Amino acid sequence: MSLLDGHVVVVGLGFGDEGKGAVVDALCADRPTTAVVRFNGGAQAAHNVVAHGRHHTFSQFGAGTFAGVPTHLSRFVLVEPFALAAEARRLETAGVRNPLSLLSVDGRALLTTPFHIHANRAREEARGAERHGSCGKGIGETVWYSLLSGALPGEVVENQEVIGTPGEAPTVADCARPSVLRRKLDTLARFYAPLAVPRHGVDELVTLYRAFADAVRITDGDETGRLAAAGRLVFEGAQGVLLDQHHGFHPHTTWSTTTPHNARDLLGGRPHAVLGVTRTYLTRHGAGPLPTESASVLARFPEAHNDTGEFQGAWRAGHLDEALLDYAIAACDGVDALAVTHLDAAGLRVVPGDGSPAVDLPDPLAWFAARLPVAVTGSGPDRAGYRVAEARSRINA
Amino acid sequence: MGHGHWDDNAYAAAKTFRAAKGEDDFGYSADLRAKPAKDWKAAAALDPKNAVRECRDSADHTDSTPIAVLFDVTGSMRRVPRIMQGKLGKLHGLLKRRGYLADPQVLFGAIGDADSDRVPLQIGQFESDNRMDEQLRTIFLEGGGGGQKSESYELAAYFMARHVVTDAWRERGRKGYLFLIGDELNKPALEARHIRRVIGDDVREDIDPASVYRELARKWNVYFVLPNQSSYYNDPEIGEHWSGLLGQNFLKLDDPGAVCELIAATIGLEEQVVDVDRALADLADVGSVAESAAVGKALAKLGTKTVVTSAVPEPGGPSDVVLR
Repeated sequence: MSLLDGHVVVVGLGFGDEGKGAVVDALCADRPTTAVVRFNGGAQAAHNVVAHGRHHTFSQFGAGTFAGVPTHLSRFVLVEPFALAAEARRLETAGVRNPLSLLSVDGRALLTTPFHIHANRAREEARGAERHGSCGKGIGETVWYSLLSGALPGEVVENQEVIGTPGEAPTVADCARPSVLRRKLDTLARFYAPLAVPRHGVDELVTLYRAFADAVRITDGDETGRLAAAGRLVFEGAQGVLLDQHHGFHPHTTWSTTTPHNARDLLGGRPHAVLGVTRTYLTRHGAGPLPTESASVLARFPEAHNDTGEFQGAWRAGHLDEALLDYAIAACDGVDALAVTHLDAAGLRVVPGDGSPAVDLPDPLAWFAARLPVAVTGSGPDRAGYRVAEARSRINA
Repeated sequence: MGHGHWDDNAYAAAKTFRAAKGEDDFGYSADLRAKPAKDWKAAAALDPKNAVRECRDSADHTDSTPIAVLFDVTGSMRRVPRIMQGKLGKLHGLLKRRGYLADPQVLFGAIGDADSDRVPLQIGQFESDNRMDEQLRTIFLEGGGGGQKSESYELAAYFMARHVVTDAWRERGRKGYLFLIGDELNKPALEARHIRRVIGDDVREDIDPASVYRELARKWNVYFVLPNQSSYYNDPEIGEHWSGLLGQNFLKLDDPGAVCELIAATIGLEEQVVDVDRALADLADVGSVAESAAVGKALAKLGTKTVVTSAVPEPGGPSDVVLR
């Protein structure tokens, strides 16, 4: 049996921007898929897909959308309705009819609100030169607030002082319960008042979130299990394993489990393949370590869809780093196969795991294939450049 | 704050959510979209697999005339299918009321992309009552399409040529009316595998689309309507392609909301019941004042005809499908 016939978990083995979106699109276009399930992150994801001349940077919608595959946002995803609506409009422009009807959301998913976003931006600006490389989309703040239950003002939770009296974090299911939502948002607004006051009041948000709840299908219970029983699922990871909240390099991490562990949780023991996505060189946005960083790599491979983010900082690049790749794979508890992207890049080099200087890498595919089966190969974000191989599992062989 | 430009999206976000909810009123599409994509399929009444559609005379309707309206439901058509879905239901009434045809029977269908869509063809049944509305509501608006500027119109044409039986033709040698509404090109070839999968005929070789349209033209007056608000309204390649196949039966329509009136007026002209001026006056009489301007513009070419003619070969022309 081919590795990719069943459920597939797609994780990035770098600092993000490995090509997860294009790989998910290629997997969905390759054979029937019941749904793409997002298992971490939120509106900060930016997965570029180009298919038949249509381009979209997928953020909360799954990258299988151009292939007509519905998206399920699991309970591990942070949902930001304003950004979701804006993304739905962009997808309509790209020719996807009523994209919101392709979406289902677990009611337990946390809501990212304007309060979180403004607080996130205020904190990052206050850090000045010590920025973490945040996207400024309130992701970390949403997670942090959700951890404060029972904390008192002045306490320090996860290295941040609790600035007021916290309450329960609002969830997607609350959007359909205006009185619950209003209570939670009132508490949230009071909590963040010392840090940031967004223009939108609670009343306006309650109305808007109610419309959001009407427009998308909100699920409870084990929706992922139901979908998995109906057919093949592709799990789309956001960010990269090297930014993981437990395995990344603090403080330059995302407040998210980027390894396959959430997906495994959702699958509840069902068989699956883990597909690790890597470029033929390393990239990252903003601050944080990049040991093999090289100006020559950056100059050689200009990006069509990535540039300097206002909050994230500069786009950076470096040679392939064998030690980091091995580390990322280990952080996943191993992966079954690799998806290698940007194979059109020439003049590649790799820094071997022993830390010796970079050496030329004339045949990157052979280098990767010597480590793990290579199940997907690709170049840019365009589906036309992707091939899905009938890779066999070494585990089940 | 300086970085709050997304705040300006509040109004737009609310509008987006409301619009998405409104679309759910179209029950079949909404229900299907709640299911995994692999379960998407045409409603049983619209599934062309191994199907034959019939337009028969009856005691009540002794002079039946078949009218088939098949519209492209892929993404490039944007909101046009929904606009049409909402307005085509009154087509039958319009034809009857103005006396253009004694016994019109109307069939609706939908066209997608056999290369990339799960539901590339839906074909309803000829109806002469409000079951037509139900057909329109159960058309699945998949909204996919392959993005190669071509859709499977020729697959629909093949079905209409081979799988439709009409008393109008059998008993009276009278052609039916077929309106294809879309904005893209035919596929370069009608692929045998698509015919087998979607329609069920055991065809083993690919077919030249032009030959399908020649065969179709023996029993049908075929029109292609390119409505505004679709992706390729101003693309000359579309017009050249369809004019090449259908001659002056290629019509551009400014207002997609006027499609029902355009079909009625076209039939009135072809039946030589009315001229363009009378047809437009009729539209005004039935309250389609705004639509009549768009129809008048679309019909400018047809209206110059004194006799109903067509650029496609008449029944004596080649009838065999050309294989390649």
